[in-house]
Amino acid sequence: MTVEVQAKTRLPQLSSDKQLTFIKLAVLSMAAILSFGTRLFSVLRFESVIHEFDPYFNYRTTRYLTEEGFYNFHNWFDDRAWYPLGRIIGGTIYPGLMVTSATLYNVMQFLNITIDIRNVCVFLAPFFSSLTTIVTYLLTKELKDEGAGLVAAAMIAIVPGYISRSVAGSYDNEGIAIFCMLLTYYFWIKAVNTGTILWATMTALAYFYMVSSWGGYVFLINLIPLHVLALMLLGRFSARVYVAYSTLYCVGTILSMQISFVGFQPVQSSEHMLALGTFGLCQLYAFTQYLREHLSPANFELLFKALLTTLLATLGTALVALTLTGKISPWTGRFYSLLDPSYAKNHIPIIASVSEHQPTSWSSFYFDLQVLVFLFPAGLYFCFSKLTDANIFIILYGVLSIYFAGVMVRLMLVLAPVMCIVSGVAASSLLSLHVKDIEPKVEKHEKKKKHENNLVFRSEVGFLFVTVLGCLLVSYVFHCTWVTSEAYSSPSIVLSARAHDGARIIFDDFREAYTWLKMNTPEDSKVMSWWDYGYQITAMANRTVIVDNNTWNNTHISRVGQAMASTEDKAYEIMRELDVDYVLVIFGGLVGYSSDDINKFLWMVRIGGSTERGRHIREADYYTGAGEFRVDADGSSTLLNCLMYKMSYYKFGLVYTEGGRPPGFDRVRGAEIGNKDFNLDVLEEAYTTEHWLVRIYKVKPLPNRGV
Amino acid sequence: MAKLRFYCIFLLYILIKCESASVDTISSDIRFKNVDRTIDISTQLVRITSKLTLENTGSTPVKNFLIAVESSAKNNAAFAGAKDSNNKDLRVVETTVKGYEYAKFWRVDLKEAVNPGATPQITVTLVLTKALLPYPTAITQQEDQLVKYIGNLYIYSPYYITSQKTNVILSSKSVESFTKVKPFTQQDGGIQYGPYPNVKPFSEKELAIHYKNNSPFLTVTRIERLIEVSHWGNIAVEEVIEIEHTGAKLKGPFSRYDYQQDHHSGPASVRSYKTLLPASASDVYYRDTNGNISTSNMKVKKDSVELDLRPRYPLFGGWRTHYTLGYNVPSYEYLYQSGNDYLLKMRVIDHIYDDMQVDEVVTKIILPEGSTSVKVNLPYPVTRLPDSLHYTYLDTKGRPVISFTKKNIVENHIEDFQLRYTFPRLLMLQEPLLVVGFLYALFLCVIIYVRLDFSIHKAEHPHKD
Repeated sequence: MTVEVQAKTRLPQLSSDKQLTFIKLAVLSMAAILSFGTRLFSVLRFESVIHEFDPYFNYRTTRYLTEEGFYNFHNWFDDRAWYPLGRIIGGTIYPGLMVTSATLYNVMQFLNITIDIRNVCVFLAPFFSSLTTIVTYLLTKELKDEGAGLVAAAMIAIVPGYISRSVAGSYDNEGIAIFCMLLTYYFWIKAVNTGTILWATMTALAYFYMVSSWGGYVFLINLIPLHVLALMLLGRFSARVYVAYSTLYCVGTILSMQISFVGFQPVQSSEHMLALGTFGLCQLYAFTQYLREHLSPANFELLFKALLTTLLATLGTALVALTLTGKISPWTGRFYSLLDPSYAKNHIPIIASVSEHQPTSWSSFYFDLQVLVFLFPAGLYFCFSKLTDANIFIILYGVLSIYFAGVMVRLMLVLAPVMCIVSGVAASSLLSLHVKDIEPKVEKHEKKKKHENNLVFRSEVGFLFVTVLGCLLVSYVFHCTWVTSEAYSSPSIVLSARAHDGARIIFDDFREAYTWLKMNTPEDSKVMSWWDYGYQITAMANRTVIVDNNTWNNTHISRVGQAMASTEDKAYEIMRELDVDYVLVIFGGLVGYSSDDINKFLWMVRIGGSTERGRHIREADYYTGAGEFRVDADGSSTLLNCLMYKMSYYKFGLVYTEGGRPPGFDRVRGAEIGNKDFNLDVLEEAYTTEHWLVRIYKVKPLPNRGV
Repeated sequence: MAKLRFYCIFLLYILIKCESASVDTISSDIRFKNVDRTIDISTQLVRITSKLTLENTGSTPVKNFLIAVESSAKNNAAFAGAKDSNNKDLRVVETTVKGYEYAKFWRVDLKEAVNPGATPQITVTLVLTKALLPYPTAITQQEDQLVKYIGNLYIYSPYYITSQKTNVILSSKSVESFTKVKPFTQQDGGIQYGPYPNVKPFSEKELAIHYKNNSPFLTVTRIERLIEVSHWGNIAVEEVIEIEHTGAKLKGPFSRYDYQQDHHSGPASVRSYKTLLPASASDVYYRDTNGNISTSNMKVKKDSVELDLRPRYPLFGGWRTHYTLGYNVPSYEYLYQSGNDYLLKMRVIDHIYDDMQVDEVVTKIILPEGSTSVKVNLPYPVTRLPDSLHYTYLDTKGRPVISFTKKNIVENHIEDFQLRYTFPRLLMLQEPLLVVGFLYALFLCVIIYVRLDFSIHKAEHPHKD
């Protein structure tokens, strides 16, 4: 009471209700602004630039969309990638991201706000994370109460697991997909709670947006049916759930099939079968309920058994038949690796070679979530203690995403929001439990009788507890800011290092090389590089590449791997076959940049050797007798004479890199290179960047006859 | 019928043409008593400075005379200027002469008429671009760049020249070959020809010099200069520049090792160049389509801001680059005002690098929204492009854009244009009022929405306080 009175004296014109609204609005908008602000480290440190690899493709396609319009974009056959195959862009991407930014861009242009498309792309992810903050608040509010919503919103604003994919410049599908996902969940919970078609349709629309923007929608379309199933098993299935799910499934599936990349998958692929099955089950369940009401128990029993047997038999045969005839697509490799973490490593090198597809280490859970890891179980407890339909959903979501995040580092992104929500519930519940206790004197008068029954130190314990939790939350803030600033805010297209005197050195070699390619090579040149750099080359250098980050054609990538792993004359044949004009390699040996092509080389060998034409390339040949991968004089001669080695180390044997070391000392491998004195026969150095990070070679034409 | 109409139009065209282009005649009264010509080919440009001693042999005063360029150099001539003995600029107008359509002429209008017998001294400057041809046309990274200059041994003039001397300034001592017509002397970094007495009008004799010239051969193939005027105290300048190294092309590989090891490697390449900006320039940015170019330095000097621009990569023969350079200058230095009338005085083109040659410049001036009755006064003829409108923040009807273009530009063209326009000062309030109005409307909507109940039927659980 006194608190209210005091508040009233301070803000006399506002009623307590309005104060509450004001505080809620203030906290929420601060969280939203904070989530935007904390993602701007890289823009402030470097510049407004697109990061990494995939975002460059998204940026390029968005530019295309704004320049050429939607229909040209939809029908776009890209001849700049996968030469000579090309790629149908419109049918092989999730267009949600591009359409979102193009729409924002066009609206702003209409209002004469002349922000260029690059800046729209750079700031899209932070903008959407602000929206995510708000949606998280709404979702948690539905699950628990407004207090928990505010805590969850504040937590998701800075959680590193989400920031890692949504800093300014990280223009990727995930940036908006998390927003779509949480929005779908919010509408779903609303639909389940109210049972109205309106909310269910909203869920379907949000689901459509999610499908249009990220392949991770599969998680969503399995989670919601699981929720329905769980409700069924727990006997909580009701007309509300029936209405919500049936509407969502019908409208959502039809809408999702409008995305040409998804196509008929929702009714064919096995990943979507759970949703379809649950939909069927819902109908059956509702039908049974209906029959039960109208039949005598004995008749019903008979009918039920007969129907069930026929139905199961039919379904089973149909499923087997469809799978055998190939109508239902087999489980894709990426999905298998979700269930069995070692699947990809053993079977598909191209999936295993991507670092974000690796299983998550325990430390990265703490790194990305910090205090949330401990609050999560507490939150689960609170969810269980007051079980509702919505709580069951969040429990399912939490447990499932923990499993998936453990399988693949990348899926930490899906885990982070639920961690925040559940931890928000936990923190809010704990605080509201104990803050009551430390309420001084005032309460003593009113609730004296209650206190007498309880512990003497209740107030002190409460105080202690709140302090500890407060400290934890403060440390969470510091940890998140530190992680964001140190780990997730480097654009990776521009590198920076500290010189001995503390001055900042910028390595801008990637853009140097790409600009060189763009300005000084013929418009139709074909550039061969390892697939990692494909998107960047097409986007920044505007040249045709042989392979890129859309690793859809394994044999093509394998062919490039074979070229890199072969000797010069063998490689020349492959390069002539692929019509290559320039070859680009990344070499970090001079400045000590460790993720260069030599360090990725074993993957090229593995992928190169994984197809029929590359059988002769065996990984063992590239190791020393002792099974080591070495670039010095002890290294295997196959390695020391392959194209990749020669391109990386051409003329490097003459360079002094470190004091007290012989020339040709590779600072990444920490070894003096083994093969120093060689010439290139079929290639000539076309350009090497200032710090030798990128080396571009020109493929010489066939020698003239008789020369 | 169509044929007749065509003839009519053709006749009309010729009439207009005759009226618009001035036609001059060669006065036989004028003679050049003595000409001292300097051909400076030490850079990528050919600068021909001739000190003329004019002589009026006739009986009537002469008000003007002609200067000419031979047909071979006709398309290279970028600039012609003249100064009198007091170092005052004289008016130079392009003109034609009947019967000599193959050559290019300018008429120099003298300040004071030359009376018969008088002998005033005039200095005429001609700048030719792309007159130095790399030979051989392609060189390797280590080689020096050799270029060939082919000119006229005599001064190409419509008048009789009594005596003439030519001094050629080269960039280096090493000369492969040169035309030898006596009398001539060769010295360090230069060749002198003459004096040659009594040369007839329009005499031509080939002067060929093949020599080493490692000075930067950079051509700006296109520059788009955007000047955005704001009445809130700022003028933003942005230049989009495309540059090509037009010297001998690079043959064979580019070796980074050699380039880093040996600073004499790549003698013909351009590592960096200096751009001078106005002394008050601030907020300078240097970027290209892939983002910021981090390799540049800025020095603020007394009378200019010196930018040391290093392209992302060194420029070898045939290599191109492209970038955007922008800065702000305060408007009080360039914008003059009297009531509602404004006068903008800025450069048509600014310095990009020393001895620059520019193929094409497009200058666009964006005036504040609501500016009317625009009048442009240019120091030399340019092609005026159609006016357009530019829309940016808080614009409603668009800002008028004045644009013009000119081809073949050199440093001598760095001159001010004057642009007059009218702008009602009350319009300054438009943009703030727009923002205020928008916010007002927004809050009003929110207030109305919060205060009134728009629901069709009453909620079952009305909101409790």
